[in-house]
Amino acid sequence: MARRRKSERLSAISGIWAETGPTSRFLIGTLIVAAIGLIGLTPKTLFDTELVWPYASLVAAIGWGRSGLGFRPMVVLVVFGLAQDVSAYAPLGCFGFINLAAFGASSLIARSFDRERNPLISTVAPVVLYAVSFVLVWLFASFSGNHLVQLSPLVNVFVVTYLLHILTAPVFDLGRRVGPLAGSMS
Amino acid sequence: MARLRGKRLKARPVRRYALIVALVVLFAVLLAQTSPRLRAWIDPARTVAADQLASSARPGLWDRISGKAARDERIRELEAEVRELTRYRSVAISMAARLEAYEDMLNVMGEPPVRGVTARITSETNGPFREAILVNAGTLQGVQPGAYAENEGGLVGRVVQIGERSSRVLLVADFNSRVPVMGEASGMRAILFGDRDDLGTLTDLPERGSFILGERVLTSGEGGIFPRGIVVGEVVERGGALRVEFGMNRGRGGFVRLMPSMQIPRPEEFPAELPDPDSAIETDGEAGVEEGAETAASDALPDAGAPGGG
Repeated sequence: MARRRKSERLSAISGIWAETGPTSRFLIGTLIVAAIGLIGLTPKTLFDTELVWPYASLVAAIGWGRSGLGFRPMVVLVVFGLAQDVSAYAPLGCFGFINLAAFGASSLIARSFDRERNPLISTVAPVVLYAVSFVLVWLFASFSGNHLVQLSPLVNVFVVTYLLHILTAPVFDLGRRVGPLAGSMS
Repeated sequence: MARLRGKRLKARPVRRYALIVALVVLFAVLLAQTSPRLRAWIDPARTVAADQLASSARPGLWDRISGKAARDERIRELEAEVRELTRYRSVAISMAARLEAYEDMLNVMGEPPVRGVTARITSETNGPFREAILVNAGTLQGVQPGAYAENEGGLVGRVVQIGERSSRVLLVADFNSRVPVMGEASGMRAILFGDRDDLGTLTDLPERGSFILGERVLTSGEGGIFPRGIVVGEVVERGGALRVEFGMNRGRGGFVRLMPSMQIPRPEEFPAELPDPDSAIETDGEAGVEEGAETAASDALPDAGAPGGG
């Protein structure tokens, strides 16, 4: 009985989400990224272990990119990137560049290979995009610091960011679909 | 329908071009920062942004209504008091080393009065970029250029960027940080910098002698930024090499104390006005020369006696 009530509640939430328009979805996603970023400004510890904080804006970039290119996501991603640059003492424009590159690449992959939302591509593409983005972070950090920075903390952030992606990917789906190619079977 | 499709096709390349242009502009901004002159133009923008980021730590309206802001304020006061007392404890321990140095010196100037600002850490990222923290005190709170930061564990770093309400502190654990240090027991001198494994590496060591395992590492006071005797860490052995475990990691309470740097004015800044010896002999004889020298000395002394003034 309780399970049935729970599944009914979940289906109600998903129903409301399905009815939500791209603008509302975009605003909710923006608020989530801002909240995660603000909470993560100072280190958080759990049982004396310092928590690794994810790059929420990267999750948003890849999620929004799947719905195609748009001006609003681009502007917000650049603003989030600048905030990340300031908080991480990275060269200005660094995270903005990475966010936009991830956004563009995600959009390109969605247009070129993932029009039918194939589960395999939907799983593999974000992993590849995160890997490339974190390689870019590593490269920029190494150039900026004049030495090769450690890879292991970045791998930890990579894993945590991907976990966040698994949990919150539907929130960053703007609901717009890149339509199938003309003449293709659907 | 056909019109709508045509409109969509037109809109997409514009977005694509906008993305490419944005990427190129951001990359150009990145490249521009490799030039120190252009970086000097961009740094003020970063400082303004950091000020805005630091202001996010202010208590909100609900905190004021519920009284949480007042409680937090009281907790901060008590924590500041505890930190102050902890600092005095470390000062007392390092006093022995200072006394030894003072005994070897003649005409030693007195210690400048301790001034400083306690600031809250508003941003501390463990990312791959430079290890730095952002604190919510700037020029309005009396932070001066070149100030250094310490917490209850010891030296934290030095201020590399100051805004009106925020300052950026480059941690001693950063690879680009260089701190002149000495062993408390051995008296060995070296330069300390942060390495990738959260431990400090000692470089420029003297050819003879070495640091003692377990001894405390203090600032040596050379270089004119950090005063002598601030605890930096402890010598530990890792992989057969002597490294330094930073003391600041023991006192991560979310606050740092920003202290003015030890800036001793150069003699050229306060030139002594010596009278012309020929004219002095002609007019007043030896008495005149002595009087002039005394005046010059008394002019120069108060300035030289305020090493923390800069």
